Amino acid sequence: MNALALPVVLPLLAAFLVRPASLVSSGLARWLGPLVLLLCGAMLVDIALLADGQPVSANIGDFAPPLGIVFYADSMALLFAIAVPLFALLLWPREGMREGGDRVSALMLLLVGSGTGMALSGDLFNLYVFYELLAVASFGLVAASGSARAYAATVRYLLISGFGSVLALIGVALIYTQTGTLNLAQLSEFAPERLANPLGLAAFACLLIGFGVKAELFPVNAWVPEVYATAPKRVSALLAGVVSKLAILVVLRLILLVFDLPEARQMVLVLGLIGLVSGELAAWRARDLPRMLAFSSIGQLGLLFMAMSIPGELGLIAALAVALHHLLMKPALFLLAERWSGGIENLAGAGRKAPLAAGLFTLFALSLLGVPPLPGFWAKLVLLLGLGQQDAVLAQAAIFGVLLMAVVEAHYLFRLVGLLYAKTEHDATPHRMGDLAVASLLGVVLLASMPLLPALAEGLGWMAHQASDVAAYRAMILDSRIPGVAP
Amino acid sequence: MHKLASLLFAMGLAALLIGLAAQLPLGMTPMGVGQAILERAPGETGSANIVTSVVLAYRGIDTLGELAILFAAATVAGLVLAPSIHAESQAKAKPRDDAGLVLRAGSDLLFPLLLTVGFYIVLHGHLTPGGGFQGGVVLAAAFFVSFLARPAKQPSHVGITLIEALAGASFIGIGLAAFFGGGAFLQPLLDKGTLGQLVSAGSLPLLYLAVGLKVGAELSGLLAHLAE
Amino acid sequence: MNPPDLITILISGGIGLVAIGAVGMAVSRHLLRLVLALALAEAGANLLLVLAGYRWDAVAPILTGAAMTRPMVDPVPQALVLTAIVIGVGVQALAVALLIRVKEAYGTLDIRELKTRVEQEICGAAGIAPPESANKPGSSQPYPVPVTTSRESA
Repeated sequence: MNALALPVVLPLLAAFLVRPASLVSSGLARWLGPLVLLLCGAMLVDIALLADGQPVSANIGDFAPPLGIVFYADSMALLFAIAVPLFALLLWPREGMREGGDRVSALMLLLVGSGTGMALSGDLFNLYVFYELLAVASFGLVAASGSARAYAATVRYLLISGFGSVLALIGVALIYTQTGTLNLAQLSEFAPERLANPLGLAAFACLLIGFGVKAELFPVNAWVPEVYATAPKRVSALLAGVVSKLAILVVLRLILLVFDLPEARQMVLVLGLIGLVSGELAAWRARDLPRMLAFSSIGQLGLLFMAMSIPGELGLIAALAVALHHLLMKPALFLLAERWSGGIENLAGAGRKAPLAAGLFTLFALSLLGVPPLPGFWAKLVLLLGLGQQDAVLAQAAIFGVLLMAVVEAHYLFRLVGLLYAKTEHDATPHRMGDLAVASLLGVVLLASMPLLPALAEGLGWMAHQASDVAAYRAMILDSRIPGVAP
Repeated sequence: MHKLASLLFAMGLAALLIGLAAQLPLGMTPMGVGQAILERAPGETGSANIVTSVVLAYRGIDTLGELAILFAAATVAGLVLAPSIHAESQAKAKPRDDAGLVLRAGSDLLFPLLLTVGFYIVLHGHLTPGGGFQGGVVLAAAFFVSFLARPAKQPSHVGITLIEALAGASFIGIGLAAFFGGGAFLQPLLDKGTLGQLVSAGSLPLLYLAVGLKVGAELSGLLAHLAE
Repeated sequence: MNPPDLITILISGGIGLVAIGAVGMAVSRHLLRLVLALALAEAGANLLLVLAGYRWDAVAPILTGAAMTRPMVDPVPQALVLTAIVIGVGVQALAVALLIRVKEAYGTLDIRELKTRVEQEICGAAGIAPPESANKPGSSQPYPVPVTTSRESA
């Protein structure tokens, strides 16, 4: 299905044309972005409906893989690909930007294009290129707030991300010298013989850390607190919610297809555990809301990495559940933090002035913590079940870590909620209508998913089954090796 | 403490890389994809420079991503460096004298030469080493040189923005033309011609022309922003 | 030169560049040096990637009119490195633009100083007190109060 390339390419085209469009008419420039995003979202939904649950693929340029690049869309990829323009529309930056409004539009469009590309691509270097595009677009969006501290935070993010991409390039070079190909399907074919050795593991480690910068993985997440605190909160919401999931999707594909080795999974588990512990402890000590949310995000993504380390379909289900829950919850929390971006002490009594916001915040906090029957509980439960099924000491230690950190989370979250409803006077600025609306929408979706849980669980299970069917992936892509024959 | 840890990490990285490199099958890599491309590229794309056929045909969407990255970097630089509400930008009033005679005369001489060399490299991308990116940088160098000699005469921002945008859009446009013509996105179009001729390799030289113009315009715009 | 020696030199060069870049990023205090170290590391990584396509005694993958008797190197890493170099250049240009603004705003490019000032700014914007410096004296009166001798007041 050749139209699969369009949702990636059209936002790029629109990004190139935004600035000349603003020369023609400023209204056109303002609406070009959201319209293109709507179009791409509709196209992706259309593809999903046409595909009817079966994976589809597209050979770019009609060059059969492994010579050319292939886009592969199974249900998991389509889910995240649809989430990108959807959340970009919901979190479209407001007029709070300076007169560089059309540049910000262009950067958002580039973010969407590269994000969709990352979700759909089936070629290692193509994933790297889209990852870099995502990085540069996010640098721009963070720096767009114009404050000096945002510039300083962006520089730090840039340096860490740059070093990560150096490591990722080294990983790609290592893989290429061993296997001679960059196509994920062909790599999964060659992996058992050529990559299941220390060299392959080293390549995986390089790629993990390289792509892990955006996924807030343990050694390379020093940029997170300052960036989330100084960027406009919608941008933080986008970064923490959507962008990190895309990076994690890439790592997930690598683990599933190419590096299905126990040592690789152990590496991911250890880094995830350290991230969880360090993130939650730092969140406990944080004294202002945006950074508390940032550290908590590091912790949650550590949980997600731990879920990815569980082998088999259960691991995938756990990872998808935690990822989707975080995707819904974190942007909403950051939106609520837009007006509450002060110190935690200063929030005392804010709940009485803004009941809807405080109610939403409490809802999301409870779900983050994992209080039944909210979805967060089920996600953590599946994770703990998956970890419990393994015999390794590390997995048992991981279970202990998760439960301990849940206690820490409970402490700082309940402290915050208690403060919100304290009996003191508070002089808060009310939330903007748009932010509250989007946060409420996400809250409604979260609540609505509760009665639908059995159906959701079945859907996730089927998605996991499809995604872990590596043989089918290979068959679909590599069987179109004869040029000119579209699958 | 933090420094010590980072230093140890860097040393460890170096040791790791050396250990890895010792095991690599260097000079004898299994050239799976590479060999196949070497055999098929001239026939399939008609370009004598096989790297060009990889960059524009087999991995065209990587090149599109790369163009987008340059565009994003230039956009962010423009966003960050835009003459803003900072009062410091009033210091622009400092006089920008032209440079001395040697620099001016040299730049007047070099400007057309650099433009020619740049366009030569861009247009011959499918025959000799070179191509859009390399040629685009030389084109931008032409503008750099004239700017260094006469700092007061800046390239016009509107013009640069238009060239940049239209060149980028035409790259995607050529790709979309292939798509709407019934094939896949970025499938090579037009007749392949005879190998080794200037007019050959179908739409590849056109793609590289778009790339060259875009890169040249972008880098010139970047310099203009940096100078303000 | 024997082929093994050439490739060894090149690979050590590539690894050396990456290591120098990494060490530079670890120990530098000045932001511009950090950016330059990153540029070095990127150059090293690009070199390593090109070397992934190296073959002994081979020529560049361009077809000239002459008959082909020698093998050609792998064209794919060369295309990859083209892309990687351009990406690196874009990021470096962006970094320099940001450094200009940071220097303008803070007057310094030293990372330690910047760290404390950014922290202070974030805390200030949030309305909370900045974290206390480790060098702060233990109590508010560090020195014993000098005892006035009664001789003067006598």
